[in-house]
Amino acid sequence: MEYKGITREWDTRKKDALERAKKAAPYVKEGKIVDAKDTVALMEAVIKPFDKVNIEGNNQKQADFLAKCLCQVDPAKVHDLHMVQSVVALPEHLDVFEKGIAKKLDMSFSGAQAGRISQFLQEGKLELGAIHTYLELYGRYFLDLTPRVALVAATMADKDGNLYTGFSTEDTPAIVEATKFRQGIVIVQVNEIVDKLPRVDIPGDWVDYIIKSPKPFYIEPLFTRDPALITDAQVLKGMMAIKGIYAEYQVESLNHGIGFDTAAIELMLPTYGEELGLKGKICKNFILNPHPSLIPAIETGWVESVYCFGGELGMEDYVAARSDIFFVGPDGSMRSNRAFSQTAGHYAIDMFIGGTLQVDPYGNSSTATANRVAGFGGAPNMGCDPKGRRHASHAWLKCGEEYGLKEELWGPVRRGKRLVVQLAETFREKLAPGFVEELDAFILAKNANLPIEPVMIYGDDMTHIITEEGIAYLPKCRCMAERTAAIRGIAGFTEVGMKADPKETKRLRELGIIKTAADLGIDITRATRDMLAAKNVYDLVVWSKGLYNPPARFRSW
Amino acid sequence: MALEILEFEFKSAATQGINKEWSHFGVTGSGDLEVLMEKKDLGGAVKAKVVTPVKGFDAVWEKMLGKFVDDTGVGNVSIEINDDNATPIVVYVRLRQALAEATAKEVE
Amino acid sequence: MKSWAGLENSSFFDASARERALGMVDKGTFTELLNPLDRYCSPHLPVLGTAVEFDDGIVTGVGLLGKHPVFVVSMEGKFIGGAIGEVNGAKMVSTIRLALKAAKSIKEKHPNDYDDRRPLVAISFETGGVRLHEANAGLLAHAEVMDAFQDCRGTVPIVAVVGSKVGCFGGMGFVAAATDVIVMNEEGRIGLTGPEVIEQEMGKEEFDASDKALVYRTTGAKHKYIIQDCNYLVEDRVGDFHNVLAEVADMPMAEIEKMRRIGSLKLVQEQQELVKLVGDMQPKDSMDIWKHFGNKKPEALPEMSTAEFLKVVKRRKRP
Repeated sequence: MEYKGITREWDTRKKDALERAKKAAPYVKEGKIVDAKDTVALMEAVIKPFDKVNIEGNNQKQADFLAKCLCQVDPAKVHDLHMVQSVVALPEHLDVFEKGIAKKLDMSFSGAQAGRISQFLQEGKLELGAIHTYLELYGRYFLDLTPRVALVAATMADKDGNLYTGFSTEDTPAIVEATKFRQGIVIVQVNEIVDKLPRVDIPGDWVDYIIKSPKPFYIEPLFTRDPALITDAQVLKGMMAIKGIYAEYQVESLNHGIGFDTAAIELMLPTYGEELGLKGKICKNFILNPHPSLIPAIETGWVESVYCFGGELGMEDYVAARSDIFFVGPDGSMRSNRAFSQTAGHYAIDMFIGGTLQVDPYGNSSTATANRVAGFGGAPNMGCDPKGRRHASHAWLKCGEEYGLKEELWGPVRRGKRLVVQLAETFREKLAPGFVEELDAFILAKNANLPIEPVMIYGDDMTHIITEEGIAYLPKCRCMAERTAAIRGIAGFTEVGMKADPKETKRLRELGIIKTAADLGIDITRATRDMLAAKNVYDLVVWSKGLYNPPARFRSW
Repeated sequence: MALEILEFEFKSAATQGINKEWSHFGVTGSGDLEVLMEKKDLGGAVKAKVVTPVKGFDAVWEKMLGKFVDDTGVGNVSIEINDDNATPIVVYVRLRQALAEATAKEVE
Repeated sequence: MKSWAGLENSSFFDASARERALGMVDKGTFTELLNPLDRYCSPHLPVLGTAVEFDDGIVTGVGLLGKHPVFVVSMEGKFIGGAIGEVNGAKMVSTIRLALKAAKSIKEKHPNDYDDRRPLVAISFETGGVRLHEANAGLLAHAEVMDAFQDCRGTVPIVAVVGSKVGCFGGMGFVAAATDVIVMNEEGRIGLTGPEVIEQEMGKEEFDASDKALVYRTTGAKHKYIIQDCNYLVEDRVGDFHNVLAEVADMPMAEIEKMRRIGSLKLVQEQQELVKLVGDMQPKDSMDIWKHFGNKKPEALPEMSTAEFLKVVKRRKRP
C-alpha cells in the first residue's frame, strides 16, 4: 500500500500570528511594552472573530484590566469569541457575551457570576461548552481548547517581557505554555515594569505584549476565615472529624476545603489535637492555599509542608519566613501553581475534606443550586478516588481495607481508597436542609439544559459524611441500601433523616458504620469556641509573630 | 407575622433533676436561643415552651426536645426557650449546656 | 459557668452582658434586678414576629466595689444589636434612678463618710442606639437616661464601659459622651452614625465601611484615647475593667469631674476648639490628627499592642 501525503502549508498558525503582530506593531513602545491607553486597539489588532481567548481569572488573581478592555473592543471587528478560562468571576467576563463579543464559554468555576450564566443560557446569549474541573480544563488547553490569545496577569515584568508572577503564580504558567507553544499570542497586564525582576517565572520569549495596568490586578482574599465567625456547631463537627477521621485513619497528607468547618479544624490542632496526642501523626503535608487559620498549627510544629494553589493576601511575609514549610524561590518569595497543586490533590493526598450544601440519600454531594451555574473548580478532582494512584499510605490502605465491596469488585488484589469527607449540617442558616431526597443539581440541569447533573462529589467516591448527629463510614457498607440507611441515620430531622429506621440506625452503630459524638467519647458541652487556638484575626497576627498582615477588611484595630 | 408559641410535654425516666431552683443559659442572638430551666414537680415529666419566629417546624422541635429528654433522662423541669432561627444542632448543644449549668455545683 | 478567676481573666470583648455585669464588680456581690425569671420581655416584638429575650437585652443589677454600691447596666449586642426599646430602656433608667436613691439614703446614714460609700453607675454599652421596632419608646428612654445623668451630676459618678462587639453607636453614642468617665479596650468603638450608614449616605469614596481598619481608626478606642474622649484604655480582660472601676469609685468627685468631655461652658469651648482644628486641617484620615498631636509615626499606632501604645502615644493636651 502506498501512502500519499497531502499538500498543504504546515505553519499557517505561525504566519497568522506574524500577520497579527504586524498589525499590532504601531502600538509597541520599548521592548514589548504597550501603553495602557492602546490596549483596546492592540486587542482589535491581534484578536480575530471566532478565536479561542483566555482571560486569566483564577479564584484569586484576576487579569481585570484586560477583561475590562476586552469589553471595549468593537463587536463589528471582534465577535463570536470562544472564551476558555478557569474562573468566571468578574462582571466583565460575562459583559463580553452581553455585547456580542463572545459567544461560547468553557470554564471550571464561576462564583458571583453563576446566576448570570444561567440567565444568559436561557436567553441564548451564551453557549456553554462544558463545566470542567481545573485539571480537566488545563488538560484541554493542551488538547482541543488551546487559546489563540491569552490575556494574563503578572506582578512584574521587565521590558523584554520576562515575568515575575511570584506568590500569586496560580494558573499563569499553564495558560502561557499552552498558548505560546501553539503559536498563540500572550498579552500580560503587570502591576509594575522594572529593570530587574526578583526572579523569572515565565521567560520573556513566551510573552508578546506587556501593559502596565493603571491599577494593580484585583485579588480576592478568598481563603481568609475570621476565627471570630466560627460557631460552636462547627467546633463540634471539627472535634468529631479530628477524633473520628484524622486520628482513626492517621491522615498525614490532605487538602482542606475553603469553609469555616475546616478552618475550625486547623485552629483545633494545637488544642484538641494536642490533647489527643496526635502531633506528628496527622496533618503533616498539606496541599492548601496559605490559610491564615493554619498559622497556629504551623507555629506549634504540626505541619511539615504546604504547597499552594495560589497566594493569600497578607500571608506573603509569613510564608517567606517559613521556607521550611512553604515552597519558596531563591529570591525569597513563594511560588504557587494551581496545576501542580491539583495534580497532587488528585493523585497524592490521603484525604480531601470540605463542606457541602446538599447530600442525597445515595451520598451524592453538590453545592449547585437551582439557578446558578457555578461549577466546582478542583473539588471533584480531589474529592474522588483516583484510579491512577499506585502508592500506599496508612490512611489509604485502611480505608481500602474497610471497603465493603472489595471482594466483589477487587478480588484478591490489595488496594486502598482515598478518604473523601464532607462536613454537612443537617440544617444550615435559615433552616435550609443539608440533606435532600433530590439534589437541586437536577433542577439546575433542567433549567440550564445541561447534559449531566452538576454533582460535586459522586456518591461512590464519598467515604465519610460528618454531621452534628454523627459520622457515616460509608466504605464499610456492603450495598446501596446500607449506605442509604447510614446517610439517613446521620441526617437528623431533615426529610432524609426522618425516614431513618431507628432499629437499622442502632444496628449500624453497633457495626461502627455510624458513630455519634457520644460513641466517639466526645463531651459535646466542651464544643465551644474556647477550643480554638485563635479566636479572631488579631490572635492570628500574634501567633505569626507579626508576620501576617491581614487585609483591611479583616482588621479590628 | 406574630411569634409562634409551641408547648410540649414529655414523659421522662427522670433519672436526673436539676440542682438549682432555676437556671438561665444563652442569648436570643440570630441563629441562637436562650434557655430558662425551672425545677418543678411534674411527676417526672418535662414541660417545654418554645417562642420562635420560625413557622412549620413544630414536629422538629418536638423531636429535638424529646431526644434531649431521652438522652439525658432529665425530669421534673420546666423548659422555656426564646429562639431566633437556631438550627437543630445549636438547639441541642444549648440544651445540653443549659442542663450542665443547671446541674452545676457553685464553682470557686 | 466560669470560675471567678476564669471570668476575670477572660476577654471582655467575648463576654456576654451577664458575664460582664458579674465581673465588673467584686466577687460574689452582684445581684441581678429583673432577672430572666421575671420575664420582662418586650410587648412590641411578638406582634412584629421578632424573637424576644427574657431580659429584653439588658442586664441590670447592683454589686459592690469595696464599700461602694455599684449600679450596673450591661447591654447584650447579640440580641437585636443591643438596641434600646421600651422595656430595656426603662430598666436602664430605673437602675440609674435607684443609684440616686441609694446615694440619698447613704448620705443620710453616713453624712461623714459619704465619699467612701458613694455609689457608682457602670454602664457596659453594646448598642446601635434606638430599637426601630419600638422607636418612640426607645427615643424616650434615651432622653430619660440623659435626664437621670443630670440628676446624678456631682453626686453619683457615671462610668461608660465600651469594649464589646457592636460598639456604642446611634443615640447611645451621645449618651456615652455625656457620662463622667469612659473606659475602653482596644476593640471598643464609639460613634454616632454607624459606618455602613455613612457609606450609604456619603458613598464608598468618602467612607468604605468594609475597610475595618479605617473604621477602627475613626471610631476605635485608640483614636478616642488620643483625642481624650476616652479616659482609660485597658487590656481586653474583664478584670482590667473591674480594676479601673474600683479606682474611679475611690476617686474624689472633683477628680472625676475633670474627666468629663461636655457639660460646662468651658468644656463646650474646648470641644469647639477641636471642631475648629478639624475645619482648618481638613484631615484625610484620623492619622493626620494623631500626627498633629505629636505622634510622629501615626501609621505604627494601630499595629501596637495596648501596652506598647500606652507607652508611646501622645494625646491631645487638655487646657
